[in-house]
Amino acid sequence: MVDNEHDFQKLVAGLKIDAEPDPGHRERLRRQMLQTFEETARASGAGAQQSPQKIVPLRRMPFVKLAVAATVLVAATAGVWTWLGRGGPMTFDQIRLATMKMPWMHAIVKGDQNGQVRTTQHWYNFAAQKTYVATDDGSVLGWDYGAGREQFVYSPRVKAVVVSELASVSPFGAESAYNLIDAFAVFAAKDDAEMTTWTAEHGGRTVRAYGIETPATGFNMAGRQAAGAQIVMMADPATKRVVAANVEYRSQDGSTLGREEWAIDYPQSGPGSMFELGVPANARVIDRRQQPVGTPGDEPAVIPTPAPTSSRKWVPLEIKLPRPQFVGTPQDARTPNLERPRGRPRPPFLAPPGTTNVALGKPVSASDRDPLYGSLDMVTDGDKKADDGSFIELGPKPQYVTIDLRERCEIYAIIIWHYHKLARVYFDVVAQVSDDKSFRNGVTTVFNNDRDNSLGLGAGTDLHYTETNEGKLLDSKGVQGRYVRLYSNGNTSDDLNHYIEVEVYGRPLGLIRDN
Amino acid sequence: MVAIMAKPVEQTGYDDLVELAKTQAGALGRLYELYYDRILRFCVHRLFNRATAEDVTSLVFLTVARMMRGFKGQTEQDFRAWIYTIAANQANAYIRKTTRRKRLMENVVAHRRTEEQDSGEWSSLDWPTLYGAIQQLKPEHQTILTLRFFENMDYDEIGRVVEARPATVRVTLHRVLRRLQEELRGDLGGEQ
Repeated sequence: MVDNEHDFQKLVAGLKIDAEPDPGHRERLRRQMLQTFEETARASGAGAQQSPQKIVPLRRMPFVKLAVAATVLVAATAGVWTWLGRGGPMTFDQIRLATMKMPWMHAIVKGDQNGQVRTTQHWYNFAAQKTYVATDDGSVLGWDYGAGREQFVYSPRVKAVVVSELASVSPFGAESAYNLIDAFAVFAAKDDAEMTTWTAEHGGRTVRAYGIETPATGFNMAGRQAAGAQIVMMADPATKRVVAANVEYRSQDGSTLGREEWAIDYPQSGPGSMFELGVPANARVIDRRQQPVGTPGDEPAVIPTPAPTSSRKWVPLEIKLPRPQFVGTPQDARTPNLERPRGRPRPPFLAPPGTTNVALGKPVSASDRDPLYGSLDMVTDGDKKADDGSFIELGPKPQYVTIDLRERCEIYAIIIWHYHKLARVYFDVVAQVSDDKSFRNGVTTVFNNDRDNSLGLGAGTDLHYTETNEGKLLDSKGVQGRYVRLYSNGNTSDDLNHYIEVEVYGRPLGLIRDN
Repeated sequence: MVAIMAKPVEQTGYDDLVELAKTQAGALGRLYELYYDRILRFCVHRLFNRATAEDVTSLVFLTVARMMRGFKGQTEQDFRAWIYTIAANQANAYIRKTTRRKRLMENVVAHRRTEEQDSGEWSSLDWPTLYGAIQQLKPEHQTILTLRFFENMDYDEIGRVVEARPATVRVTLHRVLRRLQEELRGDLGGEQ
């Protein structure tokens, strides 16, 4: 099996592959290479020592065609290299980052469908995660894919703005990609996507072009669903920003449905709201967010007022700790706002009688559905050891896990063991409780040490802490909810996110009422 | 907030050689001796066919010879990342040609031990079968896989070759292995 790297390494070690060098080829190539080196020196006028090797005439070499091809290739590459600069060819990721650093991106998009040309304007505020599109018939569309999670459509015909919850699939057909730059990156990251890059001319200047074919994207071209599209982004090598784009939409049978040409610029400011794009101030606003949608009977159950908690004396929680992996708590001097170690065991934590780990064995979901190591059920399997088979590893950048307690609970403590084999500090740890599994409504934040608001959930004031076998106990003060979500954003060792175990100490509200 | 910790640059005894090789043929010849076997081996693992691997190895060193004077790196570590980047690009360019890939796969199929393949046992996996599965991956993923398992590079070093962060390499490699496993399952006749 090749379930992991170790297995694959063993598999490879057992293979018989003939990679023994041929001394004849080695020697021929050596001479050829040194000859090429000297010729390059002469061509460039650089002084060079004469090689003591006897030079074999180039045309007698068996791989002469390849060598000539290499010469052409290298010459072409060198030409490109000159304008690409010292850093080498630009990856699209570099382009995306440079583009999205700008305060605003503005695009004038000319769409051509069967000779009918329409012009739209796009405004992107990447930092605020807002997109506006104004069409030539006076319609305005807006997407707030940041904190607001809502979308707007203004129709001049009915003079009304319809506000609704953000659709799960963006107008670009890519989940959570509400602008062309993100959409391109999402399509390019797909396993079957193959990006091609080349040098092109645009508007009298040399640009770097990045092209992909996107099958079945869900693109919409004037009401017709496109089966795919070819997107070409063009970037200025000097600024590394996208300056133009072409999109060609294709139907199921491969015929062209339409084309768009994007001319892109970067103004310092943009519309503060859709009302600055021609929506009249007196337009009627229809808020569809408050109307129930979905299958009848699927709406959340009415939440009863919980019964008063027991008046009996609170008792210490029984928390079983795993074996410590190191003595003392080494401090990472690079981490600001770091909690000082207690230097002694954690004092007992008091909770109402009957409080147990209500997370044990409960289902876990995560932003990274494909953990690098382990499976998500290991987060609540009761195994708190720091051994290799006891943790999960989620991908880099911000990630979260969500535990479904299966019923509303009164939660007194959440204990997190990220990875206590090393004295790491995990960044941007945020713990939230909600009855809404999407965590859009009714969210209570129990802990937040994301001081610079990297996650966009609001800046926290809690301290960073060092991982130990005791785990991090978060006092959640009896907050009520069904779902517990924990965020993190890499750690002092790497960019990845780990969980050994999460315990949620509380009492099911149904149980409290029954008692 | 993510802490970024720079790894110390690995010092080798050949750093001076890299500097000298920018102007002296003798030093470049010495570097060639150090790297010929590794690059040929890399090309064999990427391209299966021995003659093709030798041709592409030739292209790699001829490229090095032409560009060495302008090489900005200063250490052997820089040179290693650079030459493997050239090798990976040349190998990828070779196998991207559909006609070549077709010929390559015909060659691979001809070398397979079909009688053992039918047994459905992982232990019977031979190099042609594995190579055939690797060929189903994207060329960039083939590069990462080869550097990790055939060249035994760590994530940092692979990251320098493919211009990606070590964590990204790790994530990619993990997913590539899963994909490869699926390919191999198909090749070996179903789930194990």
